[in-house]
Amino acid sequence: MSQKEPISKKIDKLKMQVEWFYGEDFDLSEATEKYKSAVELAKEIEADLNNLKNEIKIIEEDFAR
Amino acid sequence: MQEVKYSVSEFNAVCNQTLEHAFSTVVVEGEVASFKVNQGKFVFFDLKDEECSVGCFMMVYALRFAIEDGMKVVVKATPKLTTWGKFSLTILEIMPVGEGALKKNFELLKKKLAGEGLFDEQRKRPLPDGLTKIGVISSTQAAGYVDFCKILNERWGGLSVLTAHVQVQGMGAADQIIKALKYFNERTEVEVVAIVRGGGSTDDLAIFNDEALVREVAASRILVITGIGHEVDESLVDLAADVVASTPTNAAQMLTGDRKAEIARGWDYVERVKNVLKERVESTEREIGGIIGKMGVNIVVKITTFEEKVKGQLAILEELNPEKVLERGYALIKGEVDIGNVVNITTLDKEIKAEVKNVTKRAN
Repeated sequence: MSQKEPISKKIDKLKMQVEWFYGEDFDLSEATEKYKSAVELAKEIEADLNNLKNEIKIIEEDFAR
Repeated sequence: MQEVKYSVSEFNAVCNQTLEHAFSTVVVEGEVASFKVNQGKFVFFDLKDEECSVGCFMMVYALRFAIEDGMKVVVKATPKLTTWGKFSLTILEIMPVGEGALKKNFELLKKKLAGEGLFDEQRKRPLPDGLTKIGVISSTQAAGYVDFCKILNERWGGLSVLTAHVQVQGMGAADQIIKALKYFNERTEVEVVAIVRGGGSTDDLAIFNDEALVREVAASRILVITGIGHEVDESLVDLAADVVASTPTNAAQMLTGDRKAEIARGWDYVERVKNVLKERVESTEREIGGIIGKMGVNIVVKITTFEEKVKGQLAILEELNPEKVLERGYALIKGEVDIGNVVNITTLDKEIKAEVKNVTKRAN
């Protein structure tokens, strides 16, 4: 999956995948694949969250002047 | 050596030049006496200690704290000899000092600004979720700022943080914070501005009760969160801010999600899916088991019925078996039953050939 996809979107996607298991569209023959996909997504979210760094910049303006 | 002769005006000007050379600005601490505001524009008071007193003058717009007689204050001023020969201090900045004066200022200003609605709850904007651009106003050397950044980095990533380095205590600090807040409002696209400062004495935190700063915070286009001092400290800036965190650390916590909790939540979803899947599989197994069970019962019933039917038919067939008839004592005759003919007679245990001697019709 693309690294550029925001984590929030991935989390939403995971939520939707979970909802499928509770919904009327649930189909046992598709469930294993869907479960594997949810596991992969959870792994990706974990990796993304652990790797994300903040960018902290100091404004050059001198506010004492 | 010839002595220089001055006019009064020249002498006054020379004195002022000398004063300016010696003290371009001076910081003096003392107690306020005879405080008065003339024509709503000019402020006059005396600054005194146990032995001396000096007259002070300032413009009312430079008055940023609620000052009254008996208050201990620190002033930044330029000394001056007025045209009528009176020595005075022209006040550039004034701040209350000491717990009593600060408390008094806090109460007076709080009442005034609350009356204007600056602290009204309906003015407060809630912190949105998923912030990505954060502005910070703090001293980059302050422990509070270091704590703030540490917690921010621990808890979340991918944030763009823009920091305005300012003085966070003492004379001039409030003006720097005001400038920084204006900078964020006018020149950046941050979603929230955090004003952050660690704990300190009442005097250290006094700038956060500066009237101009409180008004600037209340008027900010961008949502403002404060994390100033410790949990027990409350400032007027806190009251004017949209969101108040108890400390810089708490501000960082409020601005970010918790990545550990988020990871755990992701796996919790997966675990729930796993349980649902298990439950669904077991339920399907039970359903199939039920169908198979029913089918089995039906088959057994059908086989039994068929068996009984076959048994009945076999019994009938058995009864029709000629051997059974012979067992009952009857005989089987084969051949043309005419006088003189030889016929074959079969009994249970014999085969007999017999000649037909007589044939008569039997009466039924």
